[in-house]
Amino acid sequence: MNGNAAGCDEEDKTMENAALDLGTLGANCFVGLSRTMILFIVSSGLSFILGVMRVPNIAHGSLYMIGAFAAYSIAELFGGSTVGFWIALALSPVFVGVLSLIAERVMFRRLYQREHLELILFTFALMLIFGDLVKLVWGTDYKSILAPDMLRGSVIVFGSSFPVYNIFLIVVGPLVGVGLWLFTATTKMGKITRAAAVDRDMVDAIGINVDWVFCGAFVIGCILAGLGGALVAPTVSITLGMDHTIIMEAFLIVTIGGLGNIAGAFLGSLIFGFSQAFGVYLMPQFAIVFPYIAVVIILLIKPKGLLKSAS
Amino acid sequence: MRSPGSVIRFSLFSAVVFFLLLICNTREAKAIKIGIVDTYSGPAAVFCKDALKGFELALKEINKEGVLGEKIEFVTRDDKFKVDLGLTMAKELVMREDVDVLVGTMSSGVAMALSQYAKTQKMPFLVWLSKSGRITGEKGHRYVFMTTENTTMVAKAAASALAGKPFKKYWIAGDDYEFGHAIGGALWSHLKKIKPDVELVGESWWKVGEPDLIPYITNIIAADPDVLISCTGGASMHNIMKAAKSTEMTKKLPLWIHGATDYLVIKPLGKEAPEGVLSTVPYLYYYPESPQNKAFVKAFEDAYGSPPSFMAFHGYNTANFIAEAFRKAGSKDKEKFIDALEGLQIETPVGKVEMRACDHQAVLPIIFGVTDVVPQYDFAISINNVILSGDDVMPSCLEIEKARNK
Repeated sequence: MNGNAAGCDEEDKTMENAALDLGTLGANCFVGLSRTMILFIVSSGLSFILGVMRVPNIAHGSLYMIGAFAAYSIAELFGGSTVGFWIALALSPVFVGVLSLIAERVMFRRLYQREHLELILFTFALMLIFGDLVKLVWGTDYKSILAPDMLRGSVIVFGSSFPVYNIFLIVVGPLVGVGLWLFTATTKMGKITRAAAVDRDMVDAIGINVDWVFCGAFVIGCILAGLGGALVAPTVSITLGMDHTIIMEAFLIVTIGGLGNIAGAFLGSLIFGFSQAFGVYLMPQFAIVFPYIAVVIILLIKPKGLLKSAS
Repeated sequence: MRSPGSVIRFSLFSAVVFFLLLICNTREAKAIKIGIVDTYSGPAAVFCKDALKGFELALKEINKEGVLGEKIEFVTRDDKFKVDLGLTMAKELVMREDVDVLVGTMSSGVAMALSQYAKTQKMPFLVWLSKSGRITGEKGHRYVFMTTENTTMVAKAAASALAGKPFKKYWIAGDDYEFGHAIGGALWSHLKKIKPDVELVGESWWKVGEPDLIPYITNIIAADPDVLISCTGGASMHNIMKAAKSTEMTKKLPLWIHGATDYLVIKPLGKEAPEGVLSTVPYLYYYPESPQNKAFVKAFEDAYGSPPSFMAFHGYNTANFIAEAFRKAGSKDKEKFIDALEGLQIETPVGKVEMRACDHQAVLPIIFGVTDVVPQYDFAISINNVILSGDDVMPSCLEIEKARNK
C-alpha cells in the first residue's frame, strides 16, 4: 500500500492508546448498535419471506434502494422540510409495499413451488431490472435528504460525538423487531402465516386461502426493506449500487441467524454490526474483513445458523 | 435439376449484390471514431455522464467545422467500475468497432489495465477521469495520455497548502483502491519532504463506496490528530462529508478532500454541507470568472440546464485535444496523432493548457479552497481560493523518466 508510510509502529501505538480508552470502546458499541438496526430491519424482512415462502429474494436489496429513493422524492415533494421527512418515512414503505404487491401477484405467486436455484436466478434478474429502472426514474445523480430538525446535530456519548439520528435508529430497530414478533406470535394472521410456513397444504385443507397469506407475508417483508431504505436515507448518499451492498450483508445475516428466524436476524445483525465497528476500532485497514470472519467462524461451528431455522 | 434460366438469374443476382457491396465498401468514408469506456452504472455513473456531456458539447462545436473533412463520432461502453469488464469493452472497441482513439475511465484500476492493453495494440488512450499518478508516472508509455489532473499533482498542491498550516499530527483515511492509496501515499511523501516534522498518527482504509463512515470517524476523532486527509473518490467524497456533518466533526477536526467542492459532489448536500472543509479541484464553474470560463458555463447551462462539474470540464478538454491533434497531424494515422498531441496547447475554460510531451500529462492548475455556505448559492462554495499552476505541481520530466526506468 502506497500510503503505509509509517508502518506498524504507529499502528501499535494507536491500538495501545485506543485500548486504554474505554470511552472510545463505548462509543464504538453505540456505533455498532445503530448500524445493526438498519441491517436488522432489512434482514428481518428477508428472513420472514424466506421462512414463510422459501423464496430467496435477491431483489430485496433493490426494494431497500427504492425505499431510499422514494423517501427522497416524497421528502422533496414537501420541500425537504422536517414534516417532509416524517411523511416520507410513512409513505415510502407503503410505496414499496404496493410495488411488491404487484410483483407478487404478477410474478412471484407462480414461483413458490419452483426450485431454489430458479428462484435465485429469477430474483437476481429482477434485481438487475430494478436497478436499471431506478436509474431511469431517478437518474444517476447523488441524492441526499436531511434528518428532521429534532434529530439533527450530535450529542456527546462516551466522550465522542454521536449523531442524534443514529440514536433514533437504535430506538426504532427494536420497536420494529418487537412489532414483527407480536404480529407472528399473537395475531391470528401471524399464527396462520407461521402455520402456512410449516405446512402449506394443511392450512389449505382447512379452508384458508394460502395464496393471500403468502401474498401478505411477502408484502410485509418487502415493506420492511422499504422502511430500512427510508430510515437509512438521511445518513448515507442515496445512490445506485445500494442494492448490491445491502443484499449480500442481509443474506449473510439471515444465514448465520437461522433462516426464517427473526430473533436470529437480530442476533446476526448484532454480530455483523459489532464486528464491523470493532474491526474499525482495532485494525482500520482490515475492518471490512471482520464481519465476514465472524460469519465464517459461526458457520463452521453451527452450519444451520445460530438459532433454529423455521422449517 | 435446376433449369438453366434460374441458374442464370441467380448468377446475375449474386453478381449485382457483390458489385453493390464492393462499391459501398470502397466508397464509404470512415469518420473519426472515438471509443469511450466508462462507468455508467452504480454511484460513479453521475460523474461519467457529466464528462460525456462536456465531451458532446465540445463535439457539437468541433463537428460544425469538421476534422480532416469528417465529423468525429463516438461510441460508449459501460465497464461497471470493473477491470475485467473494462478490458472486454476496450477489446471490443479496438477490434470490432475499429476506433481511432480510446478514451476512459473513471476507475484508476480500469485505466491502468486499459493503458497496458492500449500499449500492446499501439492504440492512443486518453484518460479523462481516473487520477492515479502511476498512469503517466512509472507506468506511463507512448500510447497513454492524461487530460485530467493526477494524484501526484493534487498531492503536491495539497501538501504545499497544508504545510503552511499549523498541522503536525495527520491521519490518512480513504477508499481502499488504486486512487485512494496513490493520493494518500503521494501526499504523505511530499509533505514529509517539505515539512519533515509531521507525524502520521494512523490510517484507515474502507471498501470503495462504503456508505457508513461513522465508525471510522468516531475512532479517528478519538485518536486526536490535527487534520484528517480523506483519500476518497466517487460516492465516498459525498459520504465522508455527510458523516463529518452529522458528527459535527469539522468543528474540531479539519478535513481535506480532493474534489469536495466540485459542483456534482457538493450540490446534493445543499446548505447542510459541512463548512471549513479544505478542498482541491482542477476546476470551479464560478471561479475564476474569466471570459472563457463564463462562455463555457453559459454554453453548458444552455445545453443541459445545470452548471458543469470538473468532470464535464475534462470531457470538454479531451474532445478539443483530440480534434486539434488530428488537425495538426493532418491524417488519421495513430502515430502521427500521438506526435501531434505531444506538446499540443489548447484553449480551455481555465486558459491555455499544454499536453506535456515528456509524460503525456495535461498541465492543469489546481485550486485550493475551503467550503463555505453562503446565501447566494443553495449549496456550499469554495472560498479563499488559491490557484497553483500546473507547472508548480507537476513532477519534473527527469523524475518521470527515473520512475519509468526503475
